[in-house]
Amino acid sequence: MSTIVSARGLTKKYGDFTAVDGIDFDIREGECFGFLGPNGAGKTTTVRMIHCVSPVTAGTLIVDGSAAGVDNRALKKKTGVVPQEITLDIDLTVYENMIVFARFFDIPKREAKARIAELLKFVELEAKRDSKIDQLSTGMKRRLLVARALLNKPRIIIADEPTTGLDPQARHLIWQRLRQLKSQGVTLILTTQYMEEAAQLCDRLVVMHQGRILKEGDPRGLIESEIGKDVVEIRTPLDQDDALVARLAPLACGHERVGDTLYFYCRDGGALWKALVDLDLPNTVHRPATLEDVFLKLTGRSLIE
Amino acid sequence: MNLSYRIYHVFFRNLMSYKRFVLTTFLVSLVQPLFYLITFGIGMGAYMGAFGGRPYLFFLVPGVLISSVMMSSTFECLYGTFVKIVHEHLYDSLIATPVSAEDAVAGDIAWAAFRGLISGGLMLAVAAVMGIRPVSLLALLVLFLVMLAVGVMFASLAMIVTSKAPNFDFFTYYTELVITPMLFFSGVFFPLTNFPGWMKTVAQFLPLTHAVAISRAAFLGEYAPSLLLNVAVVAGLGIAAFVVGLRMMKKRLIK
Repeated sequence: MSTIVSARGLTKKYGDFTAVDGIDFDIREGECFGFLGPNGAGKTTTVRMIHCVSPVTAGTLIVDGSAAGVDNRALKKKTGVVPQEITLDIDLTVYENMIVFARFFDIPKREAKARIAELLKFVELEAKRDSKIDQLSTGMKRRLLVARALLNKPRIIIADEPTTGLDPQARHLIWQRLRQLKSQGVTLILTTQYMEEAAQLCDRLVVMHQGRILKEGDPRGLIESEIGKDVVEIRTPLDQDDALVARLAPLACGHERVGDTLYFYCRDGGALWKALVDLDLPNTVHRPATLEDVFLKLTGRSLIE
Repeated sequence: MNLSYRIYHVFFRNLMSYKRFVLTTFLVSLVQPLFYLITFGIGMGAYMGAFGGRPYLFFLVPGVLISSVMMSSTFECLYGTFVKIVHEHLYDSLIATPVSAEDAVAGDIAWAAFRGLISGGLMLAVAAVMGIRPVSLLALLVLFLVMLAVGVMFASLAMIVTSKAPNFDFFTYYTELVITPMLFFSGVFFPLTNFPGWMKTVAQFLPLTHAVAISRAAFLGEYAPSLLLNVAVVAGLGIAAFVVGLRMMKKRLIK
């Protein structure tokens, strides 16, 4: 697969504040590439630079063969954006939102009409064609944002936290649609703080924190290399740590104390779990490792503000 | 500057959303100038006798006309644009498309000038019913061009204010300290000739003074050489404000 977006030393500064601090990454054509990170990690700033609404401060950023900032109109024609905020035109109906947006891309009216019908069907909003935006639920608004992003038949879709505030049904529908687009060969660039979303959608991802990339890989590989296979959580008072660690640490590949919980990360949790059963402790959990563990291990389990 | 024909796409978007408010805005645009015409024109005009051989209303209408253009286009680019940026995030979705920030801002300025034209046109219609009409069809055509230019000038000036506005309250400074005083010191309701010298000088620095002078000349078909200065001010300030307004808004939008 060829590379469609390539960044080297990509940097974004706002005055003295460095939002993105010299990052390198390559996004391959047709894959789903994720930017994961807590609030303020620099994910949104990075994707804003990719779709040319935020100028690059330093470094290089090549999108589909040309440098960002040279011919932004041409690059924006190839890109579809599902924004984080609901940026629908509340003065207009669903259909009017679409037809006005089609004009921004110079899509001829006849073609636009056919495309809108097709897209409203794709996101299951045909019945809402003439509704006003404030009559839509949050899930419907997000689906309309997806449909709107597809009007110009983009080769690259940037979805910036596309399922924030959605119930599970609505979230799964958006995921299905995004996967469907990927199967049609569209390159998907996703930012999210939902680990399940990243695991469901991303072929590869980077974990960002404070403007830097901490790790890069595929979801499964990252879990294996950072955590192992299993996690055992023990909620115990702090003073028992020494004894527990002395006993259990040899069976695990890492451990960590956060608040009221002691975490053990293991390649094979079976032996540790057995030892734990012998100890007969209450409040213990044995579960498979997830991307969330990787994320929390890398970015810290304490609150980031 | 990165301007293109896409200005029209932005204008079209505004037109599409406007059709829902058309009746209410017609009423709002009519009420205030209508009050001026009735109170000043008919009420006060009765005591004032003839102005340059004509009823007072012939003096008043071209002045009130152009100040309603000023009001409409100013408010559109203050409150209208601010809502589109901050509350509706409309500009965010615009600049994610091939529409540039400059296209988007210029489209809104064009729209505000159009709103000014509607307000002015409504005033003209009301005045015509009262028997106060421009001197000829050509005069009417010139008036429309004047309204358009004045609309672009005040819309662009308002854009400069909006580019720095942190909230709605900020606009009050501009409307109360700049726009409203201008209404009283620009010769809209009475000639500047009786003002003391220094006030006449101050009036020359108010863009509305020049807009009113042009509007009045066009309405009555009386063109004096001093008009050249008025035209130069409106054209010069209009172009300068347009360029500066676009630059400053771009700074606000593209970060």
